[in-house]
Amino acid sequence: MSVLLDISHIDMVFPTPKGPFTALSDVSLKINKGEFVSLIGHSGCGKSTVLNVVAGLYQASSGGVLLNGKEVNEPGPERAVVFQNHSLLPWLSAYQNVELAVDQVFGKDKTKAEKKDWIEHNLQLVHMDHAMHKLPGEISGGMKQRVGIARALAMQPEVLLMDEPFGALDALTRAHMQDSLMEIQAELNNTVIMITHDVDEAVLLSDRIVMMTNGPSATVGEILDVNLERPRDRLALAEDSEYTRLRSEVLKFLYEKQRKVEPITKGSETRNKKKTEAA
Amino acid sequence: MATASIFNKISDSAMLPERVKLIINDVTKWLVFPLLGILGFLLLWSVSAQNIDTSLGKFPGPTAVFQQFESLYDEHVSERAKEEKFYERQELRNQKRLEKDPSYVAKTRSYTGKETFLDQIVTSLVTVMSGFLVAAAIAVPLGIAVGLSKSLNAAVNPIVQIFKPVSPLAWLPLVTMVVSALYVSPDPMVSKSFLNSMITVTLCCLWPMVINTSVGVASIDSDLVNVSKVLRLPALTHVRKIVLPASIPMIFTGMRLSLGVAWMVLIAAEMLAQNPGLGKFVWDEFQNGSSNSLARIMAAVIVIGAIGFLLDRMMLQIQRYVSWDKASADR
Amino acid sequence: MKWLKPFKRVALATLIGTGMSVSFAQAEELGYPEKEELRFGFIKLTDMAPIAVAYENGYFEDEGLYVTIEAQANWKVLLDGVIDGRLDGAHMLAGQPIAATMGFGTEAHIITPFSMDLNGNGITVSNEIWEQMKPNIPKMADGRPVHPIKADALKPVVEKYKDEGKPFNMGMVFPVSTHNYELRYWLAAGGIHPGYYAPHKGDTSGKIDADALLSVTPPPQMPATLEAGTIYGYCVGEPWNQQAVFKGIGVPVVTDYEIWKDNPEKVFGITAEFAEKYPNTTIRLTRALIRAAKWLDENDNANRPEAVKILSQSNYVGADYEVIANSMTGTFEYEKGDKREVPDFNVFFRYNATYPYYSDAIWYLTQMRRWGQISEDKSDEWYKELAAKVYRPDIYMAAANSLIEEGLVSADEVPAADEDGFRDPQTHFIDDIVYDGTKPNAYINKFSIGLKAGDKL
Repeated sequence: MSVLLDISHIDMVFPTPKGPFTALSDVSLKINKGEFVSLIGHSGCGKSTVLNVVAGLYQASSGGVLLNGKEVNEPGPERAVVFQNHSLLPWLSAYQNVELAVDQVFGKDKTKAEKKDWIEHNLQLVHMDHAMHKLPGEISGGMKQRVGIARALAMQPEVLLMDEPFGALDALTRAHMQDSLMEIQAELNNTVIMITHDVDEAVLLSDRIVMMTNGPSATVGEILDVNLERPRDRLALAEDSEYTRLRSEVLKFLYEKQRKVEPITKGSETRNKKKTEAA
Repeated sequence: MATASIFNKISDSAMLPERVKLIINDVTKWLVFPLLGILGFLLLWSVSAQNIDTSLGKFPGPTAVFQQFESLYDEHVSERAKEEKFYERQELRNQKRLEKDPSYVAKTRSYTGKETFLDQIVTSLVTVMSGFLVAAAIAVPLGIAVGLSKSLNAAVNPIVQIFKPVSPLAWLPLVTMVVSALYVSPDPMVSKSFLNSMITVTLCCLWPMVINTSVGVASIDSDLVNVSKVLRLPALTHVRKIVLPASIPMIFTGMRLSLGVAWMVLIAAEMLAQNPGLGKFVWDEFQNGSSNSLARIMAAVIVIGAIGFLLDRMMLQIQRYVSWDKASADR
Repeated sequence: MKWLKPFKRVALATLIGTGMSVSFAQAEELGYPEKEELRFGFIKLTDMAPIAVAYENGYFEDEGLYVTIEAQANWKVLLDGVIDGRLDGAHMLAGQPIAATMGFGTEAHIITPFSMDLNGNGITVSNEIWEQMKPNIPKMADGRPVHPIKADALKPVVEKYKDEGKPFNMGMVFPVSTHNYELRYWLAAGGIHPGYYAPHKGDTSGKIDADALLSVTPPPQMPATLEAGTIYGYCVGEPWNQQAVFKGIGVPVVTDYEIWKDNPEKVFGITAEFAEKYPNTTIRLTRALIRAAKWLDENDNANRPEAVKILSQSNYVGADYEVIANSMTGTFEYEKGDKREVPDFNVFFRYNATYPYYSDAIWYLTQMRRWGQISEDKSDEWYKELAAKVYRPDIYMAAANSLIEEGLVSADEVPAADEDGFRDPQTHFIDDIVYDGTKPNAYINKFSIGLKAGDKL
């Protein structure tokens, strides 16, 4: 498999009134074409920052991102983003939201009719063809997120970046969306980076799980390969021992090795621990 | 089962009066109470009017004002008849002159008679709308630019903040002098007085619109901006597709605010500068000091209020129509 | 319709020398107006009647002029309108074209081809002042006060206020208005000092050495200002004296007819530039105004009731018919119920009222000198030259002659062709001082209150 996306030695330092704050320190990650990678970690660990750097919305303080060997330094539709809270333009219908992206990406490459087909195809893919002409305000949260995914897919990105796409949804809807996503993934075999803090979601969807250490100076802690067979069925997997093992690996990382720092006195301990891990 | 169906029927028929009750509720809320309010006001007005003696006679009650509405309308009709005759006479005169002097290019000059109450209403409306539109044409692009650029905002903000609290009436003398100095044309398209009033209205509308637009633009959800970035929308498309629609609710809030103030200011400006319009009508009637003057002024007051109300409703409807955020119109 | 002939310019001599006397000698035919759409300003006063009548009776249209008539807020706005071209011409105070041409206030060369009326003003005091004046006025057999009432009756009242430290404020309509000079004349004749101006020292308030303090109030606001107690009396044109009677807020004590019988009042003012650029228009508008004035006085004021109806329209004077009719139809009501015949209260045409006499202009100049608006001595020649620069009987005569030709006016209704522009020495002033327009400096020296030759503040 070829490396599609090469994240190498990213540092991210934000200036604050109290002095510079190092959010990321030496994050490196290689992602192959067609791979589904989850970034998991406690909130505030900088996983979104990594995604934003890949998206080009942030510029790394040092290090860089290569996509197909070319450096990334600004946002672009080949790295489509599905935002956490859907980010649909509220004044445009589902169809028009996707259309805005399609018009921009395909411009003159597709005819009007082709574009229309393509928009409708993508909305069908996320099962939103029945409510294409509704405004975001008129549909549920899960439906909005589907449209958000359709919009991203319609850009035909080389990498699909998903920032906690289902974080704001209730558990049932979330499960439903995850199944949908797996379906789509089976069909399109996109390269995906997804941020999540849901362990089940990470194991269920990913080929690899990248676990991040706590910030400041967060970095890649461990990487877990998920070799469960596809298509995956959440009910069957619930009793699968490999699934259970993977699940507990992630949990162990999150709740033993990277326990969320709470009291200030324990802070130095945790940081020391992190250093040993990094070594 | 039989009893159950009977029971159902009863509850069905019980539903009907329920619905009627709701309708009655609505009618009382939207019709009866407002009507009662108006009636009470009219009563209070006519009673207190009888007890106020001015040097021009008793303060006009509702009947006197209503009579003036009629007489104002009659005046309008008779003035229109005069106007027709004016044009007939003019045409005759032009023809006669053409007979004697074939090289003469006949010209129809517009009616020189007095402006009726209805004419003044139209004048004021045209003035306020033109001033408002000119202000919008300046303020919305400026507000967008200010909202998009922090440095421009820092540059423009102090000026806006200083000029915003200034009553546009304070500008009026300056506007009048500047217009007189700069607007020199032998055959002016619009009159200076119209321009003066219009610019005053524009100055009044400008600041709230700039502020609201820029705030609306500056407070756009950063996710929407990111969407635009990911799509690499060109700057103009970004403004057209994202910024403008996103800030429409705020822009309209600013517009509604300024139109309301503009209408009030216009009337005052017309009074002050003797520019044609309802304000001039009020002032002329005040100066006339005839026994009808107070009732006529009162009639104008009612019309001014009604128009102000309708303008606001109109803006609200437009806002509802163009804005995606329906709730913003009710705020 | 003799004038409906191919366009021919009126012979127009170039402006020569300081006299600036453009000769508007009548050519055989009067051409079409160069400017047809005109805008005239006026102040809501009955003496604007010639303009309203010329419009309503179609005299302007007969001349091919399409005139819009517009009420102005005050005399300053009106004058500025004429100067900056917003207005083509206006109903003006006689002193306005003179002062503007001289450069007192806004400087601009304004001329007048037409004098609008004689008399028409009155002095009104508030009820409170009237009660205090009344004991000082001799009574007739029927108990009514003897007219004319002199300011001698007011003097003790003014002195009382002065002693009490209360400023005695009175209103007039404009610093160079007839009303200002008439009020001053009346006050000074009764021994009350109305105050000096000193424009060379920047003092244009006219209150130096004053017993009574005079300030400007626009005519239509006079009654309201009196009612509010801001002023104790005022001098203004009609209907604003009769309005005070109707409202019961004040009593007119004297009319200007009694201060100076048949005194010139308003004039029609245009810029010199306008007259030069549009000679036909100038003559034509003068023709229309002469016809209107004639109509107003015809058959012993027979048309006055109709004129009053026109004036009471809201776009003209707008006051109630009865109020305007009170003075316009030959009567004048002093105290409520004390209505007296004053047939010549408003004269628009008879006694050559419309002819712009140089001597009328010079009288205003003498008063400007008397009260310091002209701060230095001027020669008699200076007075005459300035009068000739502003008052333009040549235009008037061109218009009048063409009307005579058409039979619209008879030759005996206007001054003869050899009129020199100076009225014979005039008597009939309230203080019996005789005015001879040819000797302005000698006239100024006759007054006991006022600047005299050689005086400078």
